[in-house]
Amino acid sequence: MGYRIRYLAAELKKTVRGFPLMLLSAAALMLFIGGAAFGAARRMEREPLAVSVDIGIVVRGDERTTRMALGYVESMESVAGLCRFVQVSEEDGRRMLAEGDLAVLVVLPEALVEGIMDGRNPSVDIIFPKNARLEAMLFRELAVSGAGLLRVAQAQIYGADDMALQYGLEDELSVMEAEIDAYNLAFALDRLAMYDDETISATGRLSVAQYYAASGIVLFLLLSGMAAYPVMQPESAACRRQLVRAGVGVVWRNFCRWLCGFFYLLCLVSAVYLLLRVLCLCAPQMAARLRDILMGGGRRGEAGIRLGMFLLVLAAAASFHCMIYSVSKSRTGVILLIFLLSTVMVYLSGGFVPAVFLPTAVRSAGAILPTSWLIRACGGLFAGHGAGMGRCAALLCLYAAAFGVSACGLEHVRNRRGQ
Amino acid sequence: MIAATDIVSSYGRKRILKGVSFAALRGECVGILGANGCGKSTLLAILAGVLKPQGGTVLYGGQTAWGSSAGRTERKAAPDGRAGQGRGGMRCDRELIRRMTGYVPQENPLMPELTVYDNLRLWYPDRRTLDAELAQGFLSLLGIGAFCRMRADKLSGGMKKRVSIGIAMAGSPPILLLDEPSAALDLVCKADIRTYLQAYLERGGTVVITTHEESELALCDRLYVMKDGVLRQVDSRLRGEELVKLF
Repeated sequence: MGYRIRYLAAELKKTVRGFPLMLLSAAALMLFIGGAAFGAARRMEREPLAVSVDIGIVVRGDERTTRMALGYVESMESVAGLCRFVQVSEEDGRRMLAEGDLAVLVVLPEALVEGIMDGRNPSVDIIFPKNARLEAMLFRELAVSGAGLLRVAQAQIYGADDMALQYGLEDELSVMEAEIDAYNLAFALDRLAMYDDETISATGRLSVAQYYAASGIVLFLLLSGMAAYPVMQPESAACRRQLVRAGVGVVWRNFCRWLCGFFYLLCLVSAVYLLLRVLCLCAPQMAARLRDILMGGGRRGEAGIRLGMFLLVLAAAASFHCMIYSVSKSRTGVILLIFLLSTVMVYLSGGFVPAVFLPTAVRSAGAILPTSWLIRACGGLFAGHGAGMGRCAALLCLYAAAFGVSACGLEHVRNRRGQ
Repeated sequence: MIAATDIVSSYGRKRILKGVSFAALRGECVGILGANGCGKSTLLAILAGVLKPQGGTVLYGGQTAWGSSAGRTERKAAPDGRAGQGRGGMRCDRELIRRMTGYVPQENPLMPELTVYDNLRLWYPDRRTLDAELAQGFLSLLGIGAFCRMRADKLSGGMKKRVSIGIAMAGSPPILLLDEPSAALDLVCKADIRTYLQAYLERGGTVVITTHEESELALCDRLYVMKDGVLRQVDSRLRGEELVKLF
């Protein structure tokens, strides 16, 4: 047996012997991540998921007709589902707007209804907060587009009036106005669209639970590198020198470390899977619910493809650990680096908050990070791998190779410096 | 057995070895002394094939280990790479160096998570050879059998040094290169190592040792003092203050 094979055997032996300790460390880590995820989930459950916009209404003067019109609008189903009108004084309204209690403040002038009826059309002031939240931004967009639409409709009607007067077509005016109204209403609101059921999700084709399960798996795999010190730590300089004398070079040593890291992650994931299976046997109802939540939207089958993709995820994660362990010599340094890099990369890739809610620059940066593709590959475990599977697999291979080459390069530089 | 001629080595712009030459015969012990940082360890690392010199030749048993006409081209940079900068014409016969020399560096080359036996197993070609060595070979002489099931990180400094020598002895090389083997060891351990080296020399082995220990100087047939990158042979009977004056 050559030195290389004996070295590989020694490294694997190290991994097997160190596994119980590493498993304990990883279990502590999992408890920590699980606790954080559980807390976040509880908080999400408490908060209403549907958007409800509080709109402050100021009615100038004691206008009975205005209040009646307002009550009518408020009771409309399409409005009640989204907005809540809060009648306030102008002073209170501005204060609540500044404190963020209102998304927008609408100031209705005196004699609003009469003004609409007699054609004076008094203007309504709509005041938005300076630092608008998502609801206020949505409302502003709706108000601007609605006002634009009204302007066009009015211009059309006034134009039609002028034309009818000029050409003596007053009798046709009511028909023209009806057609203009019908056209604009059809354009403004497709009534049938109210009954369409279309889900638009920030988590793409994954459900929220699937999405966070995928990003949780990626975060766990990356962070579990902190517990892999016995496996991944580079040898002492003296040992390295002896290995070089024996013809065991940087590339082979890193390959062996990567293989052991991969083996460690595989054992770790298998242990977690077995634990979950045992728990499922003990609590079948909970298991069924969990399966329903995580696998509900997924396609059945494709077991081979899912396994293959997951092995690729493990390979890329092990390669990432290899690189980090080549960067830092000390255990503290490794732990800090893994923690910082993993959390930042997962955040930028939308692992904590879906990417669509992140600023554009962050989203662009996150898209090229390996964690984005790791999350995508893990998401495929639950929802099935879509059309982009080949690209995802190729990129994971590429990232694994890049990390491996970086690890070799970094160790080579360290050797040159005699460290 | 060893013939080193005009060995040159630099670290960056600093010249560490300026044409070092020496020789050692079969069964001979050569001691190299000098102040800290004078280049003793660099010389031993070059002899062991882990550092690449910029010039000179090293012959083992008449065959070229380092030089411009060695058997195999040194394609990769040496692990420390220090000597690889600047001039790249040196060739190295790694197989010859590995076969002919055992190297005991100052730090121990052990994997702390493994047992002593597993550490030794890495360097010995098969289990049978290792077991035989532990039972009645050099390893038994070092007393490694008594603690070979212990984890390496639980060993004392003396035990680690014995295992390091045991690793260097894998393949029974005729030349042993020891870099301050007695540093930070207790008196009993020093005596044991000395006894072991004595036995190795009696069996015809050649030893090159860097040391500050007077007791180990007694083993040396020839003494060299390294100063300012130059190696100078001195009277092997010199001891104490007389030797220190030459540093």
